[in-house]
Amino acid sequence: MLLRKLFRTLWQYKAQFISMVIMVALGVGVFLGFNVEWYSLEVNTKEIYDATGFADYRIYSDKGFSPEDLDAVKAIEGVEDATRFLSLNVSVKDDTDTLALTVSGNMNVSGVLVMQGEPYSAEDPDGFWLSDSYAAANGISVGDPLTLSYQTITVSGTVKGLVKSSEYLICLPDSTQMMPDYSSYGFVYISPAMLDRSIPVLYKAMIGSLYHQINVKSSLDKAAFVEAADKALGSTRLILSKDETVSWAEAQGEVNEGKTMASILPVLFLAIAILTMVTTMHRICASEKTQIGTFKALGFKDRRILVHYSAYALIIGLLGTILGIGIGYGLGWFIMNPDGAMATYIDMPSWTLRAPGFTWLVLIGINAFLMFIGFLSVRKMLQGTAADALRPYSPKRMKHLRFEETKRFKRLGFGTKWNLRDCVRHKARSLMTLFGIVGCMVLLVGGLGMKDTMDAFLDVFYEKAINYTTRVNLDTDNMTPEEGKKLAESLDGDWAASRAIQIGDRGYSLEIYSITRDKVRFADEDMKMIPLTDDGVYICSRIAREYHLKKGDELSFSPYDSSEHYTVPVAGVLDSMTEGIVMTDTFADKTGIDYTVGSVFTDAAEIPEDARILNRQSKQSIMDSFDVFMDLMNKMIWLLVIAAVILGIVVLYNLGVMSYTERYREMATLKVVGFKDSKIGRLLISQNLWLTVLGILIGIPVGVGVLQYLLTALASEYELKLVLGLPTWLVSILLTFGVSLAVGLMVARKNRHIDMVAALKTAE
Amino acid sequence: MAIVEFKDVSRVYRNGDHEQRALDHVNLSLEEGKFIVVLGPSGAGKSTLLNMLGGLDNPTEGTIVVNGKDISTLTPNELAEYRAASVGFVFQSYNLIPTLTVIENVALVKEIAPDPLSSHDMLRAVGLEDHIHQFPSELSGGEQQRVSIARALAKNPHILLCDEPTGALDSETGVMVLKLLLSMARDMGKTIIIVTHNQNIAKMADVVIRVKNGKIKSCEEQENPLSVEEVDW
Repeated sequence: MLLRKLFRTLWQYKAQFISMVIMVALGVGVFLGFNVEWYSLEVNTKEIYDATGFADYRIYSDKGFSPEDLDAVKAIEGVEDATRFLSLNVSVKDDTDTLALTVSGNMNVSGVLVMQGEPYSAEDPDGFWLSDSYAAANGISVGDPLTLSYQTITVSGTVKGLVKSSEYLICLPDSTQMMPDYSSYGFVYISPAMLDRSIPVLYKAMIGSLYHQINVKSSLDKAAFVEAADKALGSTRLILSKDETVSWAEAQGEVNEGKTMASILPVLFLAIAILTMVTTMHRICASEKTQIGTFKALGFKDRRILVHYSAYALIIGLLGTILGIGIGYGLGWFIMNPDGAMATYIDMPSWTLRAPGFTWLVLIGINAFLMFIGFLSVRKMLQGTAADALRPYSPKRMKHLRFEETKRFKRLGFGTKWNLRDCVRHKARSLMTLFGIVGCMVLLVGGLGMKDTMDAFLDVFYEKAINYTTRVNLDTDNMTPEEGKKLAESLDGDWAASRAIQIGDRGYSLEIYSITRDKVRFADEDMKMIPLTDDGVYICSRIAREYHLKKGDELSFSPYDSSEHYTVPVAGVLDSMTEGIVMTDTFADKTGIDYTVGSVFTDAAEIPEDARILNRQSKQSIMDSFDVFMDLMNKMIWLLVIAAVILGIVVLYNLGVMSYTERYREMATLKVVGFKDSKIGRLLISQNLWLTVLGILIGIPVGVGVLQYLLTALASEYELKLVLGLPTWLVSILLTFGVSLAVGLMVARKNRHIDMVAALKTAE
Repeated sequence: MAIVEFKDVSRVYRNGDHEQRALDHVNLSLEEGKFIVVLGPSGAGKSTLLNMLGGLDNPTEGTIVVNGKDISTLTPNELAEYRAASVGFVFQSYNLIPTLTVIENVALVKEIAPDPLSSHDMLRAVGLEDHIHQFPSELSGGEQQRVSIARALAKNPHILLCDEPTGALDSETGVMVLKLLLSMARDMGKTIIIVTHNQNIAKMADVVIRVKNGKIKSCEEQENPLSVEEVDW
């Protein structure tokens, strides 16, 4: 019998019931979704790191490594395995595409995972193991012929396998690109035997020097490894640990980004869900008080009544959780699926959705907590004797508020006083309404603000900083410094040279620029364009933060493969896409740093064919690679906006209905006295609108704070400066206001159906 | 002169196939400035009669004319205007706004009534001038009922409709409230219509209407109604 009552009561309070289920579902969904995203990424990337032997350390040398060098590294105690590694950007013959031609002498380290075709063979004389993503984007299948060219060398063969590699988990040609573009860039592995076959006889002796890297698997910490490697190789080398590589750092960055998102937004949703539950369960139990008293008077034990009413919270919790799990996995799938933007960014073989173990414990905890809220709400109504329990619930007695003594209050209209006192009398409900509006506002400001910030970031780095039409990359290995400068001059372009350096034990890049034609520009920390001066080095804000440096301080660094150490003044801090330092060619010459021109930035319509030109990238192709990135960002923003609107509607409608129920009798009185429905409606809506205005005023700084927190959390990846455009303010405020007004009107419409007679007959 | 006329008024409530006739072809004519008591057992239709007259409900059939105006065909908004201008209500359960003080509860009718009286005067008339800044919950039942009467009077209505106004009060307080209502009829010329079970109240009335099964059983004028003090409570 009680079970029937349970379902009938649920139906009676269907508005509150449905909104609580939605709130719990949203809370659980967002919580699970973000956690599924970062955890799946972590697990799936770990699988490919393990499967392809992702190296823990990379030792670099311009001169290359011999088999003896490899043996010396392998002999280091604590080194599990190592390989000589070659990665060289080569052109696809008769095409503008570039592939990173890769050879690993020992495929247990920095190897491949074959997705299709033959297993990799170190002895294969003419086989290519091509990136499956590049193959898919270019319509290449196993068995197709492929010819690559590098300077005068041509490498021909057949595609024997389609593969993935953790070394190219995020497959970018250079640091100016943010998103992989497999239609024009990928990677390909060949065997050492094929490399040997492809090198002309004359150059056979040079093969050793092509292996610029030794990749190592080792559990030693970096300091110990660097010391041991330097000792084994007899000189100081640039050694990068895996967290200094793009593939690891970016993927882990995504994981950390997911963790950050999972620590903010779900907390907001869950907090609102739980608070909604507290206020709504209390209200339902208060409405049910006489029935609770009747059960008690009839002889039902308190425990049975407690179990019965706590079951409402349990049902809401369970239904919300089941729905939320669906939403969570849906959200996870939306963010990361094999056809989505994340899959374009991170080239993983598997996109299995996994939830971290603790999330299930949290979900159990949430359900237990929701039931506890129900339990406490009923227990409050059960207190005292059966006669006490039978009395209807009476809200707190009104007391005069301190501000009522002011003249201004006395001059207020009755509606204003009514609403003000009602807000104070029903504090929990008012606070919850406020919380819902603040939440809605925070999500809108956060989501749209993130888009503004990214748009401004892209505008600075791609619209303003790139003032050339083509970037021409030169082959620095086959050119003198003077030749490079002459080539730049002939292309009427500015130029840059790049050197790998170490600050402390970490590797960075030093970019040396000659800017006389305004083809490249730089932004300071306030994202304002500044000219580079010749009196020091410019550091990116990540380095400034990491080493506590500011303008006027001194910075020490050493180019790798060099025993030179330079201590130079910091001329300024830049907001930069890449982590590194920048100086002018004049300052580099003054300091005595060697360099060779590596890139020319030009507007020249015709770029002549020249063996010294490796490849060319148009500004458009660089910018196009962002479309995918922005697509993911836009999807996330839409999700946030939709979530904000749902949150606003559900919370405000639930509380609006609650407010309507609580004030039903008062409204019936007003109606009997002669107030029109429209006037009563305006009274109801005005309270909502006050709270909305207050919520918006609170939501603005909170939203900005949350956004700033997110940007700070992302600071290791992007040097983003918070930007909020006027449209974002307008959309956030108007949408929040619109949601509040729409819900207020929905609730106010109910006035028409007030049964004046029945309402006024009931006992106070 | 008749201030209220019921012409063949019926009110039928339908619930599925079930039909309940709360008022059955009622004809009634009431004069201005009288103290009128409607008596009848529970379910007789007396509250329905009061609700029709107060513009809280519409008749299924017939017409109700108040002060020469047919209120049976008014729209919800017109009915609200009618309630605001012409009738005051006093209920058994007071129905005050808990978040407004005594004076504010009375003064709120100024928002809607076309010709309201002074709230202070009305509260003085019901003897509550010393309690104007208190909230309803700080008053006794009798005091709350007097606030409710002051609020009803502040609209300066032609008719005061009271549904069991003493039902929730002890006899002493009830007598005080009745005395007040009677003085409104005698001194201010208001038409007071009280719906009650209490036969004793009928002894004070100028007119006693008896209702049973939705029909008017009798409508009698009393030549010499008793004063409140003369009634044996």
